[in-house]
Amino acid sequence: MSPVANQAARADGGRYQHKETLLRPKQIGVGIALGVALIICWRAAEMRPAALIEPNTAASVWAFIRGLFPPDLSADFLRIVAAAAGQTIAIAIAGTTLSILIAVPLSVMATPTLWQRGVVLAGERAGAGTLLIGFMSRATRGLLGFLRAVPDLVWALLFVVAVGLGSLAGTLALAVSYSAVLGRVYADVFEDVDSRPLEALHALGATRTQIFLRAIWPQAAPSITAYTIYSFECCVRAASVLGFIGAGGIGYEINLSMRLFNYGQVLTLIVALIALVAITDIGSKFLRRRLHANAPAGSLAHQHLQNAKKPRLWLMPVGGVGNGTIVLISTIVITWSFYATGMFNAELIDSGLLTRMGRFAGQMFPPDLAPAFLSSLWLPLIQTIGISVMGTLIGVTIGAFLALPATSTLVLAQDDAAGKRSRVEQILRWLSYDLARFTLNLLRSIPELVWVLICIVGVGLGPFAGTLAIGLHTGGVLGKFYAETLEEAPAQPIEALRASGARPLQILLWGIWPQAKPMLLSYTVLRWETNLRISTILGLVGGGGLGQAIYNNVQLGFYSRIGTLIAITYIMVMMTNWLGDQLRGRRATA
Amino acid sequence: MIYSLNGVTKAYSTRQGLVRSLNGLTLNVHPGEHVALLGPSGAGKTTLFRLLNGTLRPTSGKLQFDGSDVGSMSGRELRAMRRRIGTIYQQHYLVPSLTVLQNALCGRLGRWSLVHTIRNALRPTRAETEQAMSNLELVGLADKYCARADELSGGQQQRLAIARVLMQSPDVFLADEPFASLDPALTESMASLLMGLVQEGKYTIVATLHDVEMALRYFPRIVALRDGCVVFDTTPDEVSREVLDALYAGNSTLKEHAPLGTDQWGKANQCEPSCQPSCAR
Repeated sequence: MSPVANQAARADGGRYQHKETLLRPKQIGVGIALGVALIICWRAAEMRPAALIEPNTAASVWAFIRGLFPPDLSADFLRIVAAAAGQTIAIAIAGTTLSILIAVPLSVMATPTLWQRGVVLAGERAGAGTLLIGFMSRATRGLLGFLRAVPDLVWALLFVVAVGLGSLAGTLALAVSYSAVLGRVYADVFEDVDSRPLEALHALGATRTQIFLRAIWPQAAPSITAYTIYSFECCVRAASVLGFIGAGGIGYEINLSMRLFNYGQVLTLIVALIALVAITDIGSKFLRRRLHANAPAGSLAHQHLQNAKKPRLWLMPVGGVGNGTIVLISTIVITWSFYATGMFNAELIDSGLLTRMGRFAGQMFPPDLAPAFLSSLWLPLIQTIGISVMGTLIGVTIGAFLALPATSTLVLAQDDAAGKRSRVEQILRWLSYDLARFTLNLLRSIPELVWVLICIVGVGLGPFAGTLAIGLHTGGVLGKFYAETLEEAPAQPIEALRASGARPLQILLWGIWPQAKPMLLSYTVLRWETNLRISTILGLVGGGGLGQAIYNNVQLGFYSRIGTLIAITYIMVMMTNWLGDQLRGRRATA
Repeated sequence: MIYSLNGVTKAYSTRQGLVRSLNGLTLNVHPGEHVALLGPSGAGKTTLFRLLNGTLRPTSGKLQFDGSDVGSMSGRELRAMRRRIGTIYQQHYLVPSLTVLQNALCGRLGRWSLVHTIRNALRPTRAETEQAMSNLELVGLADKYCARADELSGGQQQRLAIARVLMQSPDVFLADEPFASLDPALTESMASLLMGLVQEGKYTIVATLHDVEMALRYFPRIVALRDGCVVFDTTPDEVSREVLDALYAGNSTLKEHAPLGTDQWGKANQCEPSCQPSCAR
């Protein structure tokens, strides 16, 4: 029995007393505070629901939809689409490769069990050197956190300024952004391996390098391979939208066609983008299964992997595939991607690229901290938060509404328990299920930045368009997650309720919801954190908030102000992560 | 006749092909009868149990509840039938994150209108809460009413399951191994509690049991299943050692069926692929 319940039972002598009041004063207080916060967010996001039902909006959206058809399938344009898709893939591959190369040393440096604490350090005398290296390890962790907190599109914008328009800027942006993501994940995986082999090797007198290569890496390799492949998937998504601010690829073409009102081309490009992402997803899932990379350390599949081949250090996770072939193919693909993104372009690299980048970075210091400038940032800051909150709420509404028909256990329930159904009812149920699933997939597979452009067509430039865009994409993401969580609720309690004659709504309220609630709430909070980062960049394409300020200052060349804005973004993201952890931590125990 | 089964078969399609769990089973149960179902694991007890409470429908043959054919019922008719049947499952069938009181109240769900359901989602009515409390008192859980169901011990969860069924006030009780997760002392008190509540002649009860001694002591009618068919259907006096040995022959089940502790038992029972198609996934 939980301590709280225990206390309550003791307070009234273990006897139940019926409380007639529905709300306690504390709940009312929290409710009022939430209400005020919501009103502020509503105002900040400049919500204009009325704009959605204005005839003008309907007319322009209709004109847009009519413009989409027929899609432009002319040979000339398809060549452009293919080239743009190829460029996107090249950016993603080159970006991922670079980010792995940067991430490995950083993650080793950031692994606390190697430098800060644990068996490897046991018995070492704490000299100045140890302290220094411990400090550097912590600093590396902090650096990874910072690089990760700044959204990839902001990096892309900065690199566009530093190295010029084109796919090189996109590649570098991905390299920076994803090296931080991978570095952090790698470090966590290195930290979480079983420490007993480390201890054994340490006792034998092995050096740190030997311990890492012989004890940590073999244990970590499967998880690391799996996550790296997954992060390539994310890179493809990111690469396809980087073009919106001039970093090449499919996003660039979408933005261009959108601004030229060539909606037929837009449809072709969006379909190409969705296909690209879908193919990557399938390929990555296939690859992960092929490599057994999903197998967690200690599982049967993992053991099998260990026994099947002599552990070869570098390529161990590759399992049954011909290692030579894989090395050859990857080398060719990576070389091509580097070539296609202009990494081997002597003109670009030679003409003082590094000096230019260095000078550009130097110009951001010291950040502009003039009070007048700082106070002008309040509005965009609150606007960014408002957009993320309202966008998430719209997403929750759409997601919850679509998740119910998309939950197969609620709608289809083909098993005997449902009783006899007429043919018509059966067809209607399938139809509503498929329609809901299709809508969710559509909402999800179109990136937020494309949604912004579409919403701008409907409701004009500004934060409301950004809010709607986040809401639509989040609706798709959350709806799919909600449906899957509801489907996975343990079946036995549900069977018991059904056997007592409960109807589907009652089963949902009393059987499924109580079991799924913690997962649903925690994922929604997590999604809000993601949306906050996204709402920072929406301004880059006209969706309001901090992004707008970053974009304007980049255009005006006020680089010291960009330093400030990036610092503010970092602080804001860190605070939200902390708040999210708090919210989720409480949910987990509640 | 409350239950009338005539040549009932139930088949599941599994990876190995069609698996028959029940094989032309014929059985009648009169109102007010107390029936114990015996049989080795894989005999089809759980499948029969699910057919009786309307969670499964027969693949062929006729299953009637109180004169109406279960196979052709609509969702609404099935719910009306299930309301009259109180099912006491094993421990895993409580909603783990709801409190003891809320779990007990779940027994009323079948009687609530849509409006009442939504109102009760906020706060249940006083009358129903008090009824739930008095039922919890009956099974000795009143002082635990605000604990979460997953904080209870196996025996307490079993008693909560009984309280939930009492809330339903059904005509027919179905119990799936009601004493499986209890220690010997608790088994005695539970058995006398349950059999005291379900008076013979007034309420019907059908219970699956692995403990032959308990079945012979508390039930006037013993039905034994093997390979999806009724092997014998008789009174306790007629059940001899030889008959039982034949029933469980070729099975180490008698040994296996001794209470092994809740978890092991629960798992052992769930992993029968023929009876639990959902586990095969």
